[in-house]
Amino acid sequence: MKLYFILISGSLKSRMQYKMNFIFSMVSYGMIMAVDFIMLAAILRRFDDVKGWDLYEVGLLYSISSIAISLYRVIGAEVHDFERYMVNGEFDSLLIRPVSPLFLLLTRNIDLSRIGGAIQGLIIIAISVAGLMKTGKATLLLIAYLPVAVLTGLIICFAVGVLTAALAFWTEKIKDFQTFTLYAPFTAANYPMNIYPGLLKIIFFTVIPVAFMNYVPVMYLLQKGGEWWYLITPAAVAGVFLTFSLIMWHIGIKHYHSTGS
Amino acid sequence: MIYWLLFQKSFLRNMQYRLAHLINNAASAIFGFVFMAVWVGVLTGKESGSPYSIQDMVHYIGTGQVFLWLTVFLTAGLNIQNGVRSGAITMELARPVHYFSYVTVQEAGRIAYNLLFRSIPIALVYVLTVGFYVPENAVSLLYIFISAILAIFISLNLTYLVGISSIWTTEISWAHFVLITLLFGFGGQLVPIDLLPKPIYSIVALTPFPCVLYYPVMMYLEKAAPHVLLIQASWAAALTMISFWVTNIARSKIEIQGG
Repeated sequence: MKLYFILISGSLKSRMQYKMNFIFSMVSYGMIMAVDFIMLAAILRRFDDVKGWDLYEVGLLYSISSIAISLYRVIGAEVHDFERYMVNGEFDSLLIRPVSPLFLLLTRNIDLSRIGGAIQGLIIIAISVAGLMKTGKATLLLIAYLPVAVLTGLIICFAVGVLTAALAFWTEKIKDFQTFTLYAPFTAANYPMNIYPGLLKIIFFTVIPVAFMNYVPVMYLLQKGGEWWYLITPAAVAGVFLTFSLIMWHIGIKHYHSTGS
Repeated sequence: MIYWLLFQKSFLRNMQYRLAHLINNAASAIFGFVFMAVWVGVLTGKESGSPYSIQDMVHYIGTGQVFLWLTVFLTAGLNIQNGVRSGAITMELARPVHYFSYVTVQEAGRIAYNLLFRSIPIALVYVLTVGFYVPENAVSLLYIFISAILAIFISLNLTYLVGISSIWTTEISWAHFVLITLLFGFGGQLVPIDLLPKPIYSIVALTPFPCVLYYPVMMYLEKAAPHVLLIQASWAAALTMISFWVTNIARSKIEIQGG
């Protein structure tokens, strides 16, 4: 852990050489996500709800999902950009170090400019909880569970990120897969799963289990259905999915052949 | 002729990646399904209070996904920033072709590629699944064509201005994200701008962003009056003048050193 912080502080110092760019990037990433939510608010202001979920309820789903993916982009910047290591042949340099390549990737770069998305998510969570309090729907259990949901979401997102990065050992390029595995599912997870047709629902509960990070526990916490174990299942799913992605990552490394010279 | 050659080369360069792009199209179609599902969820049982039916919104989102690849998803800064960073822009500005045309015609080649390998396949996915609107009037086809060309031209100008700003800022990724956000939000990608609250709508309508996505989509769905073409044409003319003006300032700022 000490090594992690030493490497991270080095990465941060290099980033802070361009302070204005950092600030502008942070604000703009936050703004992108905020505009999405403002548009959703505009719809629900006019039409009240989406299949029984009002603005504040959807706001909870939306913010958990957007904080999770933003934090992943902060800590997993190089995992997300792993294609570069394959295409430029930079992965060899990670293999000759006495530390695991995944650990090295995590320490190489922290993209703090993405934290803007998480801050925007926190603001939406605050607005949503305040709105739910007025109607008596925000219980202590719900508020206490929110950090757990964000952490579960981060683990699921990180696992999907590693799994997609592992594809690069076979395909080299992964940017187009990321739209499929990360952007589309996490956008879908901004909204309640009951709006999706069968096939999409199956994908979001199994292949890319984003439904577990917010929809499943929040549904129970807002008394829209489910049982107490809806609060435990997400952590179990996140654990299993992370293990699976790490196994695939190691299989990928064994399969890896350098391009040579 | 040189412009036609640049257009062709850009088209052919993109052809190298068509398999990856076809995979990406599936994701793009899924995005569309997600937004359609949101609207179906919102409008179910409430269609009477809405100017749009569920079917209208399914068509609106589907057409929007198709137009995104023509008018919104342009190359960030048209890659002008790379030339600024490497210094190659000095040679590009010195060439006997206008820099604005030199850069935008290459992007136009990519847009032509996107039409064939991104927009049409995505439209086909919707034809086979949720349905895709087909214009009924022959004259609409002419309006749609003009509206789409103007939308592309406006978007090329906006992206060009972001790119050329790199001469002063070097880094444009944040400016690109801001532009994309405005094109999505004010362009009506998820919400038709006439459904926005009045105060927001009156501001959005004064910007060029609805010209890039909302107007061409509404024109395709035969829900826009022909006069929106005038709004688009005005913005296209104004932005072109600004692009030319900024290019001249940029040219005077560039110094070529060495010897």
